[in-house]
Amino acid sequence: MNLALRGTMQPLTRRVRAYFAPVDRATETPTVFDPARYGAFTLDTPPSPWLDLGWIDNFQRSSHTATDALRSGARGAPMQSVRGALGAEVEFDFREWGKLQMALEAGSQHMNVLATSATATPQPSGGVSISAVPLLLGSTASELQVGAGAVALFVIGNIIAVDLDYQQQTGYVGTGLSAAYVRNAADVQHSVDYVRRVTFNVGRVSGLTTTSLLLAQPLLGGVPAGGASVQKVIAFLDREGGSFFQEWSALFVMEEENGARVCFYYPRLTPQRKTGVSGVQTEKLNSVVAPIVAVTLHAVFLALPATDANDGEQILCYRSFFPAASAALY
Amino acid sequence: MQFAKDSFYAALRDRLAVVNPTRTVTMNGAVRPAVIVTQNEPVTAALPLPHAFYIEWGAAQLASSETSAKRPLVALVCLLSYGSSGTLDGEVNRGREMGALDGELFAICSPGKTNKRDLTQTPAVDLGSYVIWTKPQMKDIQTDRKTGLALFRTAEVTVFFFPEVDWS
Repeated sequence: MNLALRGTMQPLTRRVRAYFAPVDRATETPTVFDPARYGAFTLDTPPSPWLDLGWIDNFQRSSHTATDALRSGARGAPMQSVRGALGAEVEFDFREWGKLQMALEAGSQHMNVLATSATATPQPSGGVSISAVPLLLGSTASELQVGAGAVALFVIGNIIAVDLDYQQQTGYVGTGLSAAYVRNAADVQHSVDYVRRVTFNVGRVSGLTTTSLLLAQPLLGGVPAGGASVQKVIAFLDREGGSFFQEWSALFVMEEENGARVCFYYPRLTPQRKTGVSGVQTEKLNSVVAPIVAVTLHAVFLALPATDANDGEQILCYRSFFPAASAALY
Repeated sequence: MQFAKDSFYAALRDRLAVVNPTRTVTMNGAVRPAVIVTQNEPVTAALPLPHAFYIEWGAAQLASSETSAKRPLVALVCLLSYGSSGTLDGEVNRGREMGALDGELFAICSPGKTNKRDLTQTPAVDLGSYVIWTKPQMKDIQTDRKTGLALFRTAEVTVFFFPEVDWS
């Protein structure tokens, strides 16, 4: 009997994992996923600064980089191939909702609805907020020092936003992650709280000490900047019509069931809405059992190019394959 | 899964104490709202008590469209049974008693959700998610005397919850 069978070469997966990381918007520099260095990472603990975006479904990549034939001669015979314009998209459903998932799906600046006083004038994205509490020295990404008196302003379970006061600057704002772009200070009412209204540095209070707030998850932007303050958040909000474009690096991993892993790395993804006559469906309702449905966020992204330093090519997406141990290679 | 079962039971028990404070049973000498989880009681050959809601847990499976989730929604079948032989001579009010029990079942099952809690601790610990369930699907009234009750009904609800462990 000949047992020299060729090793299995068929990737099997039961889910696709999604990870996003910030793009430095000022320089348009993506977060690099190096498959040699990070390819075998443990999927529940992605390498920093990659963030696990949870369960996604209906993952679908599409290439719009057309190739055509250059023809010549009396019969118009194809003489060689040529490539047309670059283009690639990826779409999927976020099955879980959170700050990042909403921001990525909506595509424009994503807002934190800051807590207001009972007398504040109502605004659709939240009125003038209750004053922020300045952070004290010794704050970390997981523990916010606010002092003995201010601790009483918070309770376990509160959602909070942490960032610097708005200093009337223009350009990208948000510590760690660019959350919005301010063209004119007057556009944001010169509000000292504007950065906290859009920042990605949010957390949930999971404990209180005599002087500090303990957070269930660390702040996305890391240790709060000196001079940062904290405010209570009531809800997350996005809007149809915002002008800002989110832009993120993305990594999708087909989780290996038989040892073979497939990764798709998009250096730069920006939300895409191609509206037809019927528009774009942004939420989907997946029936669990009537009348209960699971609400998902349908996200579509356009890939933007980055230059590969190894050969200078403009690249939209990288696909890397890690064969299973003992699998045949060809 | 046990936290979800316990939370569902506690919700129905506490709601019945409000909806009809007189709907009680005496079990092992203790008077309590008439919601009984069969698998939590001593095994006996005794017939079911009248005017009490019995909870029996059935099959569990991942909810539809949730099978690829890391922490999928789990669907658990729950049967709620109750019966009456009436309270008057000749059992002539058995139908009205069943009607009252039907109404109370709807009342204690609404709203179809409750916080998932760890009731093995005192005070109970909120586990940060909800247990939700469908509206009761009432089956035909039976007159099977094997229960010892003139009229007997089973209603089915599906209870959904997120388990305490991830599915790797």
